[in-house]
Amino acid sequence: MNTGRPPQIVAFGGGGFSMEAGNPLLDDYVLGLAERERPKVCFVPTASGDADHYVVRFYRTFSTRCETSHVSLFRRDRGDGAVEGDLEAHLLRQDVIYVGGGSVVSLLGAWRAHGLDRVLKQAWRRGVVLCGLSAGSLCWFQEAVTAFHGAPTVVRGLGLLPHSNCVHYDGEPERREEYRRFVGDGVTPGYAADDGAALHFVGRDLRRVVSSRPRARAFRVEPRKGEVVEEQLPVSYLGDAQLDLAVA
Amino acid sequence: MTVRESLRGEPQILAMGGGGFTMEPDNPALDDFALSLVRVPEPRILFLPTASGDPTAQITSFYARFARRASATHLSLFRRHGSARSLEDIVLEQDVIYVGGGSMRNLLAIWRAHELDGLLVEAWRRGIVLAGLSAGAMCWFSGGVTRSSGPLEVIGGLGLLPGSFTVHADGEPERLPVWLAAVRSGELPGGWAADDGVGLLFHGTRMTRVVTSRPGTAALRVDLVAGELVRHRIEPELLGAGPGGPGSQPVPDDIRELRELRQAMRRN
Repeated sequence: MNTGRPPQIVAFGGGGFSMEAGNPLLDDYVLGLAERERPKVCFVPTASGDADHYVVRFYRTFSTRCETSHVSLFRRDRGDGAVEGDLEAHLLRQDVIYVGGGSVVSLLGAWRAHGLDRVLKQAWRRGVVLCGLSAGSLCWFQEAVTAFHGAPTVVRGLGLLPHSNCVHYDGEPERREEYRRFVGDGVTPGYAADDGAALHFVGRDLRRVVSSRPRARAFRVEPRKGEVVEEQLPVSYLGDAQLDLAVA
Repeated sequence: MTVRESLRGEPQILAMGGGGFTMEPDNPALDDFALSLVRVPEPRILFLPTASGDPTAQITSFYARFARRASATHLSLFRRHGSARSLEDIVLEQDVIYVGGGSMRNLLAIWRAHELDGLLVEAWRRGIVLAGLSAGAMCWFSGGVTRSSGPLEVIGGLGLLPGSFTVHADGEPERLPVWLAAVRSGELPGGWAADDGVGLLFHGTRMTRVVTSRPGTAALRVDLVAGELVRHRIEPELLGAGPGGPGSQPVPDDIRELRELRQAMRRN
């Protein structure tokens, strides 16, 4: 099935329904990319261990205006209302696949065990919009900085985007230092995003940065002439009524 | 070597077909038996709820069962545990590691992603007791039968114990034929089937005891001999029935007294 859309990923530094109750700006931006009146949105909460409360919040947020479903990789034996049977066919039919936060290491381990890494890559190529926050952002990149289980470390993601990624950049001061040090030590150059900032990629290239908070920032981090440079990127605040994304 | 380390014995695994605090909230016999396998006065027990995605209800049940019996903690691989301590430090200081049920495919994949599988092998080698039910029991064997992807299917395990293992033989009877067919075809090696409530105890790789928390249950040993399945029913010892109470190897009085004293101190 051809969606008519290019491959797109929206990687949130943090935000969306699970972190910003009452602020729908990032989620609305993603739904807009689907270009459908009632988009099909599937939630993948693997990184949280398919936490029930998280799944409930997803349905509360989206079920009135989207065709909603979720994938559970932990309850496939019980038929708890999640997608059963042919996960691949279901995921390829979606307009948006929304990946929740949690542990990116556990996420990648479980996805690979169920072959979801391959399916998601195929969905992306066909124009299913992929989005997510935190672990759901890190997973799409070549390399990612995670500090979920103690000290920051670098993990290998799915590699759809040939960059590195660091999330919650404003959250913990040591993340910023560690990320710059990692890039200095040879980690793929890439992008960092604050909570409330989202990196929108079309194909493998960054198209724009949008935000749900006026002061959320994003950075390009790369080595230049022997030192690691952090370049602040222009951010379009989605709450600004004057914003016209058509010309952005 | 610490006193704790000096009290460790040879490697032990308690593999339960079902039962323990997640399935038998009113019957502590199997869980008490697991604790009776260690000699240290105030045992440390670590719960790994990985196979179910660290659900709160399971973690709460674990503490309800063990908080007054042992120094109990759990390790989450999905939520921040707020500790910068390495997995190695956390795992190797335990006396018992207790693995919950759920998706065996996810369990093994996530352990491997965190390199926890190797640490558990090391823990076993050092004499830290490994216990678990369902997916948390089959994982120690060459393989078993899982519903991780919906339908029942054969899955490989960590292979610490030779042979295969299948669980819930009475509670989910549809598992047994899938396992028997896999043993007959050679896809899985011969091994054991256990009813809910039945625990197989291994010292090293040798099965030494079969116990149960429920009367009327059994274990089954099955081997492929000259192309035919040979079955052998094993009658388990009923826990809590004998004069020694759960475990039937009573905790010595001095150790029992020390446990009670420490628990009282913790409560105050």
